[in-house]
Amino acid sequence: MRVPFEWLCELTGIEASVDDVATRLTNAGFEVGAIHRAGEHWDRIVVGEVVRIDPHPNADRLNLPTVNTGSEEVQVVCGAWNFEAGDRIAFAPAGARLWDPYADEPVLKELKPTRIRGVVSRGMLCSTKELGISDDHEGILVLDPDAPLGRPLAEALGGEVLEFELKANRPDALSVLGIAREAAALYGTPVRSPIPDDRAGEHGPSQPVQLQIDDPSLCARYSAALVHDVKVGESPAWIRDRLEQAGVRPISTIVDATNYVMLELGQPLHAFDWDTVRGGFIGVRTPRPGERLVTLDGQDRELTPETLCIVDAEGPVALAGVMGGLDTEVTDTTATVLLESATFDPVSIRRTAHRLNLRSEASRRFEKGLPPELTVLALRRCVQLIEEIGAGRGEFLTADAYPEPSDPTPVSLEFDRIERLMGVAYDRGEVRQALSSLEFGLDEDGDELRVTPPFWRRDMTAPADVVEEVARLVGYERIPDTLPTGQVMDLAPGEIDERDDEARDIMAGLGFAECVTYALTSEARMARLVPPDLLDAPPDSPLGDADAWAEVRETAMNDAGRSLTDRLLPLDREPLRLRNPLSMDENVLRLTGLGTMLETLRANRRHADRDLLLFDYQPSFLARDGDLPEEPNFLTAVIGERVSADRWNETVTVELPFVRGVVDELLSRSGVPAEATSHDDLQHPTFASGASAAVAYRGRLLAAYGEVDAEVAEAFDLDERSWALLVDMPAVREASAGPPRFSAWSEYPSALRDLAIVVDGDVTQADVSDAIVRAGRPLLQSARLFDEYRGEQIPPGKRSLAYALSYAAPDRTLTDKQADRAHNRVVRALQHRLGAELRG
Amino acid sequence: MQERLDALLTSARAELAAAADDAALEQWRVTHLGRRSVLTGLLRSVGSLPREERREAGQAANAARRELEEALEARQTELRRGADGAQVDVTMPGYPVRLGSLHPLTRTLREIRRVLAPLGFRAVSGPEVEWDRYNFELLNIPADHPARDMWDTFHIDDKARPGELLLRTHTSPVQARVMEQIRPPVRVIVPGKVYRYEDRDASHEAEFMQVEGLAIDKHITMADLRGTLTYFVRAMFGPDRELRIRASYFPFTEPSAEAEMSCHACNGDGCPVCGGTGWIEILGSGMVHPKVLADVGYDPDVYQGFAFGMGVERIAMLKYGVTDIRSFYRNDLRFLRQLR
Ligand SMILES: [Zn+2]
Repeated sequence: MRVPFEWLCELTGIEASVDDVATRLTNAGFEVGAIHRAGEHWDRIVVGEVVRIDPHPNADRLNLPTVNTGSEEVQVVCGAWNFEAGDRIAFAPAGARLWDPYADEPVLKELKPTRIRGVVSRGMLCSTKELGISDDHEGILVLDPDAPLGRPLAEALGGEVLEFELKANRPDALSVLGIAREAAALYGTPVRSPIPDDRAGEHGPSQPVQLQIDDPSLCARYSAALVHDVKVGESPAWIRDRLEQAGVRPISTIVDATNYVMLELGQPLHAFDWDTVRGGFIGVRTPRPGERLVTLDGQDRELTPETLCIVDAEGPVALAGVMGGLDTEVTDTTATVLLESATFDPVSIRRTAHRLNLRSEASRRFEKGLPPELTVLALRRCVQLIEEIGAGRGEFLTADAYPEPSDPTPVSLEFDRIERLMGVAYDRGEVRQALSSLEFGLDEDGDELRVTPPFWRRDMTAPADVVEEVARLVGYERIPDTLPTGQVMDLAPGEIDERDDEARDIMAGLGFAECVTYALTSEARMARLVPPDLLDAPPDSPLGDADAWAEVRETAMNDAGRSLTDRLLPLDREPLRLRNPLSMDENVLRLTGLGTMLETLRANRRHADRDLLLFDYQPSFLARDGDLPEEPNFLTAVIGERVSADRWNETVTVELPFVRGVVDELLSRSGVPAEATSHDDLQHPTFASGASAAVAYRGRLLAAYGEVDAEVAEAFDLDERSWALLVDMPAVREASAGPPRFSAWSEYPSALRDLAIVVDGDVTQADVSDAIVRAGRPLLQSARLFDEYRGEQIPPGKRSLAYALSYAAPDRTLTDKQADRAHNRVVRALQHRLGAELRG
Repeated sequence: MQERLDALLTSARAELAAAADDAALEQWRVTHLGRRSVLTGLLRSVGSLPREERREAGQAANAARRELEEALEARQTELRRGADGAQVDVTMPGYPVRLGSLHPLTRTLREIRRVLAPLGFRAVSGPEVEWDRYNFELLNIPADHPARDMWDTFHIDDKARPGELLLRTHTSPVQARVMEQIRPPVRVIVPGKVYRYEDRDASHEAEFMQVEGLAIDKHITMADLRGTLTYFVRAMFGPDRELRIRASYFPFTEPSAEAEMSCHACNGDGCPVCGGTGWIEILGSGMVHPKVLADVGYDPDVYQGFAFGMGVERIAMLKYGVTDIRSFYRNDLRFLRQLR
C-alpha cells in the first residue's frame, strides 16, 4: 500500500523525517518496502501556465502550446489534448530529466531540444508517468490553478510516498488512518482523526431506503447514505494528487471521494446512481437461478449460486465487494447517489474475486475482514468530503441494517505472562502505556489485565496477541540473547538417516559430482527413456503430450525385466500430475530422475570431454491409493564415455566393469554382503541389452546399471556412449547387514599360485569364482581375477580367465606340498564341474 | 701418506662417477668407506706412525673420508634427478585426481545441521507431497484465509480428493507431524525441498530448500529464540555478526519476528551484497502460535516455544557469493567444481 507521507503527517502531527518514520514503522511490523521520492529528479521542472495553443502546421495530431515558465515564454510541440489555455502544468525545459514512458524498465532520460515535424520543441509538458508519479501516460498532468507559477514542481507537488508491504493479519493497516494510529503510538502523539462528528438529527433522511440482508453471515452490516444535487466532474487537485500518489487513478468527484475514503479509512464504498435503482430497495443475497449482471467492465455475467450480490427490487445491480453493475454506474448525468458502506464476508468475497479474477483494492480489503463499526464512520467522512468539494449535498446516514451487532471480545492475561513468553521483564507502567497508546481499553484486577481492543483490532484473540503488541511497541531491542536450557528430546520420528550422508560421501569419493535436480519434470522427458522405435508415436510430438506417456506404458513395457525394475525405473506407472503447472515442461512429479540426469550429462558434455560422473540423490514420487505418495530416495548416476587415467592426458573408455566397480563399492560400503547379491542380465528398454545388469539381493532389486540404449542416448542428444546407474537406496538399507565385522587373517606367510583356464562361452565368471571358492576351502584366502582373454590363441567361442590365488593356514606356515595339494583340488574341480582346461 | 690418499681419492671419484644405480653406489660405499676399505686401513695405521706425523696424517685421512662421504651423497642426489641429469620440474601439474564433490546445497545443509546439533536440534524430514491439512490448516492457516496468499501453491491433480494434495510450500508441516507424535521437549530442525508456484528469476525458484527449526518446552522464550539465532549467524558467518529482529507476521507464530544479520561482506558499512543497508534479511521466526500447539494436543498454557525458517539457497548464496539462485539447479560441473 502506498501512503503519501504528508497525508500521514496530517493525521498524526509527526514532525520526524520520512526515513525515521519508515524505520520505526518497519521495526514495529509495518514494513516499508520502498520510499518513493517523487520530486527527486525534478530539479529543473517548474509550474508553468499554458498561454495559448496554436495548431501544428504539419501535423493534425500535434499542437503547439506556448508556456509561460514564470521567466519566459517557450513554445513546445505536444501530442496531448487534455488541457486548455490558462491551465497550470508541469513544464520540463531542455536539460531536465524525465522517466522514459516507453521503456520496459524505469529509465531516466535527459530531455533535449528536438525538431518535430518541422517545428522546434524547447521543452515538454509532462505526464504523470514521465514525472514518475504514476503509470498513467494518457495525457499531461494538469495542476491545481493555485499552483505557484515558476516554482519548482518539487515544491508545489513533490513529496515522499511510503510503500508498505503489509501482512495479512492487519486489515486496519490498509488505510492511512491505520498506519497513522501505529505511527502516533510509536511517537507518542495523538491521532487526528479525519472522521467528522455525527450530525444526525440535523436533518433526517429525505426519503426511505429499504435495506434487506438475507444472510447476516455473508453481510454483517449494510449502511447507506443518499447524496443529492450531485455534480460529477473533475476533483480538486489536492484530491487527485493524493489519489495519484497512492496509486489510484482519479476519475470523477463521486468516485474519487469514495476511493479517497477507502484509502484514508480502509472501508471500500460503492456509489449507485440512485435513479437507476429500482423500487427504492437494496438487498444483499445470493442470486436466483438464471440471474445475470452486466458489470462495469461491460461483461455480461452469469451468476453462480455462491456469488454474493447487491440487488434492487428486480434483480442484481452489483457483485458485492467486487465490482459494480453497468446500469447503476454513476455518470455525468447522475443527480442522486446512494453510497454503500458494508461489511461482507471475507471468504465469500475472496472466492468470488479469485474465481472471476477481479481482485481490486476494494476486494483485498474485504478479504481481510473489516469491522462493522467502520461502515457508518466511512459514510460520514465521504459525505463530508463530497460536500467539501462541492460535489453534492448528503445525509450522514440514510439507512442502516446491522442485524447481529457484536463487540470485540476482551482478552485477559496475567502480567507475568509477558515475561514468561518474552524472557525479559516489562514493568506494568510500560505495558499500560504501550496498550493505551494503541487505544486498547485496560482493566486491572490484581495481577490480571483485561484488555479490550478497539473495534478495528479484531485480530486480538489470545494473550500472545497482546504480548506481541507490548513487545513490538516497546521494541524488540529489549529482548536479550539466551540459549534454551532443559532436557534433550527423545529420538524424533522421521529422523534423517546418517547413511544418506554416507551414500553421498561414497559417491563423491568414487569421483562423482553431486547434482540437485528438479522434482518436477515432463512426461515427454520420461518418455524419451524408451527407444522411439518401440513407440507408435514419438514422445516429442508434441512436447508434453499426455498421450506420449500412455503410449510408453501400453506398448513398451512388456519386455522381460519390467517387473524387476518396477520401482526403480517405473516407466509403466502413472505419475502425479500438477493441477496448475508453471509450464508443460514441468507438469508432473518424476517417477525417475534419469531423464533429468541424462539432460544434465548432455549439458555438461558441451564443455567437457571426460570425467563426466554425476549423481543425484533426491526422491522419486510413486503414487499410492488413498495415501500420500511413496517418496523413495533413489540414487541416480550417469557417466560419460571417457574418464581420466594415468598421467595428464590419458583416458580410458568406460565399460560395464567400470560401472560395476562403482556399484560393488557402494553396496559393500552400505553393508550389503557381496556373497548374497547376484548380478544378472538386465532386460529394460532404457538400457543396451548385453551391456547392462540388475543387482538383486534375495530376489529383490537393489540396483540397475549399464550402457544407455543408443537410441535413448540419441533422444537425449548425447553424442557418445553413456552409462547409468540406478540404486534403490531404501532397499539397500534393508539388505544391509549393519556395520562391517572383523575377521582374523592368518599371520603365516601365504602361498601364491596363478591359475589360467579356458572355459566355454556360456560359463560365467561367477560360476568359475564360486567353484574356486568352494573347492579351495579351507586354505584359500582369496581369488582375484586378473585377466580375461578371447582371441586367436584359444578356440573360438571360448574364453580364458586368469586368477591369482592365495593359500594360507591359520596356525602354521604351509609347505609347498600342502599348497600344491590345495591348488590341485581347485584345478580338478574346475575341470570336472565346468569343463575347464588349464591354459599352459 | 698424502700421496696415497690423493691416489685413493682420484680412483674413488672415477669409480663413483661410473656408478649408475643404487646397487653400484652401495658396492662403492663398501669398497671405499667400509670396514675393510683402504681408507679405513689407513686410518687404523695412523696410530703406528711416529708421534710427530700422527696428527697431520689423522687430519688428512679424516678429511679424505669426509670428502668421499660428501661425494657419495652428491652422487646419490644426482642419480635421483634422472638418468640424463635433468632436474625434476616440481611445477609440473599433478596427475588428474578423480575425486567427486558434494553439491553446495548439501554442504550448506550439513553445516546448518552441524551448527545446530550442539544445541540439541535433531534433523528430521517429512513428505514433499503433503496434505492441505498439514501444510496449512494445522499451521493456523484455514481455507480461504488471506494469509494463504503468502504461499503460491502447486496443487496435485487428484480426482479422488480434489484440493487436498499439494506440494508443500514450506517445511513447516513437519512441525505438526513431529508434535503429533511425541511429547515435549521437542527440538528439531527440518531440512528439505519446498515448492512455490512462482516464475523463476535470479532470486526466485519454484523449487528450493528450506530449513525449519522448532523448540518446544515449558520455559522456552523469545530471548532463547534470539540467542539461538545469534549463535547461528555467528557460527555460520563469523563471530563479528550482529543480529537484529523486528516485528513481523506469520500465521503460525505469535509474536513473530524477522531476523537480519549485519552484512558479512562489509561488516555493516553498506555494500552491494546488503543493498547498501549494512543488514541482510536471513530468516523468519517467532513463538509458536498457541492455536498450533493446541491443534496437535499440546496445552498452550503449559508448553511454549519458538520456530524459525530459512532458505538454504539464500544462505549458500551469501556464503559462496552466488548471485543467481537458479545456478544451484543447473548442475554445471564448472559451478559444482568451483564450490566443492
Ligand atoms: Zn554489505
